[in-house]
Amino acid sequence: MTYFHVDLDAFFASVEQQDHPDLRGKPVIVGAKPGTRGVVSACSYEARVYGVRSAMPIAEAVRRCPEGIFLPVRMKRYREVSRQIMEIFSSFTPSWIPISIDEATLDMTGTDTLFGSPEAAATTLKKRVKDTFGLTLSIGIAENRYVAKLASEYRKPDGLYRVLPGEEVPFIDTLGLKKLWGIGVKTLNRLTELGWNTPAKIRDIPLRVIQVRLGKATGEFLYRIVRGIDPGIYTTEVKSHSLSQETTFPIDVGDPKILKQTLLDLSHQVMVRLHQESGRSRTVAIKVRYPNFKTRTFRRTLPHSILSAEELFHLGWELFQHNHPLGSEIRLIGIGLEQVETQEEPLQGELFPREYEKQRSVEKAILELQKKHPSLCLKKASLLFPRINSPGS
Amino acid sequence: MKFTCEKNALLKEIAIAQEIISSKSTISILSNVLLEANEGTLTIRATDMKVAFETKIPVEVSVPGSTTVFCDKFLGILRTMPEGDIEFEEKEQGTFLIKPVFKKIDFRLKTISSDKYPELPSIAENFYFSFPQKQFKEMITQTIFSVSEDETRYYMNGVCMEKNEDQLVMVATDGRRLSYISKPSSEPIPDFHQVIIPPKALNLIQRLASGEGSISIAVSDKNVFLMFDNQKLSTALIEGQFPNYQRVIPAEQKYKLKVGIPELLEAIKRVSLLVEQKSKRIYLELSEGRLVLSSEESELGVAKEELICDYEGPENVIALNYVYLLEPLRVMEGSSVLIEYTEPNRALTIRPVESTEYFHIVMPMQLD
Repeated sequence: MTYFHVDLDAFFASVEQQDHPDLRGKPVIVGAKPGTRGVVSACSYEARVYGVRSAMPIAEAVRRCPEGIFLPVRMKRYREVSRQIMEIFSSFTPSWIPISIDEATLDMTGTDTLFGSPEAAATTLKKRVKDTFGLTLSIGIAENRYVAKLASEYRKPDGLYRVLPGEEVPFIDTLGLKKLWGIGVKTLNRLTELGWNTPAKIRDIPLRVIQVRLGKATGEFLYRIVRGIDPGIYTTEVKSHSLSQETTFPIDVGDPKILKQTLLDLSHQVMVRLHQESGRSRTVAIKVRYPNFKTRTFRRTLPHSILSAEELFHLGWELFQHNHPLGSEIRLIGIGLEQVETQEEPLQGELFPREYEKQRSVEKAILELQKKHPSLCLKKASLLFPRINSPGS
Repeated sequence: MKFTCEKNALLKEIAIAQEIISSKSTISILSNVLLEANEGTLTIRATDMKVAFETKIPVEVSVPGSTTVFCDKFLGILRTMPEGDIEFEEKEQGTFLIKPVFKKIDFRLKTISSDKYPELPSIAENFYFSFPQKQFKEMITQTIFSVSEDETRYYMNGVCMEKNEDQLVMVATDGRRLSYISKPSSEPIPDFHQVIIPPKALNLIQRLASGEGSISIAVSDKNVFLMFDNQKLSTALIEGQFPNYQRVIPAEQKYKLKVGIPELLEAIKRVSLLVEQKSKRIYLELSEGRLVLSSEESELGVAKEELICDYEGPENVIALNYVYLLEPLRVMEGSSVLIEYTEPNRALTIRPVESTEYFHIVMPMQLD
């Protein structure tokens, strides 16, 4: 078995540097507008030297790197680039899973006759992306997806590292517990308390004892990863995923008009992504963050697939109103589709087509048009009104 | 108030009352059952504010009066009481005594005054028309399974009932299949608007009505009222517009297939074992004198069964949700069923050979 874990380096910032050559070599910070309350979404390696990290409050980033170049998030552009890069991945193997906008795992088993050794294939892949998009990526190669992921982190940026078969355990030992993916702060603290502070130490402890101390699932997970065994982080069985969009408001918002408008906009963005991957979902989720940073998610599963942005918006708004006291202010709102499946279900004929069915056809037609004529801009009229500024969305 | 009655006679009615009372809502007067003893009769009432139920049973009344008690606990107590006669008495205001006649058991339930019990909707006697119970129950049987459970299409969450000249019509649909039945009435039916009746009340009729004699029906703007066998049931109607179902009923179908009901039912049950349970798609291959049912080939395997049938028409394959075939067949009377279609991707009609009163319309699925 041969797996690649591919991770695009400082993806958002790198795309900006490619699109704006004058930014190359400079500390680029993508995220909320300085002076607002948002956070850093991504930063270039030049900015990381200053101690800037993603998810850091933007004010802190300004303090650490005053000469940084602060840019807004252009998610649409990143998605476009991501999709094109993922297409390159898919030309290397039919069996690949996108993990996120800048990460994917590829099953390269049995591709030697096509691309040569795994290292050779990885080099070709890196070169192809570099030549086409000017972007660098890090590839980890291993016998399983989990170790491959760790290997991709190991030599970042622009890295290529292969953990040879049989070398998994020594590799895990060099990393240490802190760098093992999937061990959170809480688990790490618990492990320190127990005195289990190295992978080697944990290997000496029987599975049952680990499970008694850390719970069944975490115990099993830990038992496997310290041995370099994939606990099944990206098994192909996981065919479903979520799609979501959210917005942090520059100031807390309680006005239903603004909330509705925002939600409608977000619903459209989510639905476009769903249509693009020909997905279907029956579960809508609403995320709300209150001024005290408390965050709650509400979800509802329907007996049928959600058909259009309009339907998603209506369901989302209903869900929001049902769970949220009218008029009270919130800091963030988000909407998403969960359990998204791309596997086509046989279509059942309808006696009385839903009104959303027509909207779905319209939305899909618009998407097709835009694909053919990228300069064409078709938008729902109600979304044309001056939008409230939404950094970090 | 004081009355005596046999345990099982009362238990049966209180169990029904508890079924009507919505257990989900918070405890309130609506969690109570109303008991009214007068002139040798005990009247029992329960409601969840949508469905209201009233029944009368003969009891020995010593002191007439009325009160309400927490139905859930009352039912629990009755269940555990020994067989035989039980004495019930509201002592002073607020305490209801339950005491088997020959045992030293003494239960006291707190009561809430019957004045506080909500007025149940009612309608004047002259609005009622009567219809044979047996026929009414059959109409429910033929349609209720097609009701949609999709709350976003609430106007399909009940059975549509309407009058068509001297016929009473019931229709139910979930948007993908539709069940229709129409039965003549022996006495004139007064005009009323099409109504959508929630399945809860209809299921209760199925259980509670004896099937003998007639049922009295009255329709108002907001409710439908039903009287049968000393029982009264009313339910709030579903507001909204039932879809224009006539539009989707094919006036005529080009091809007809006739096959035995038990044979087809058995075959579906077998083949469906290997049908993919998410889509529930089954294939019907039609050729002269032959019907082949099959499942999709999956990781589990594949199933196929061949039946002899009456069919003269082109060879065709139709894909269907097998439940949409199974459910009508389960309640279909007679020996044979007609499956009619015009094109494999358009609506099918499923009807019994022996009756023209009812039929089912089913939309097929995509073939691949």
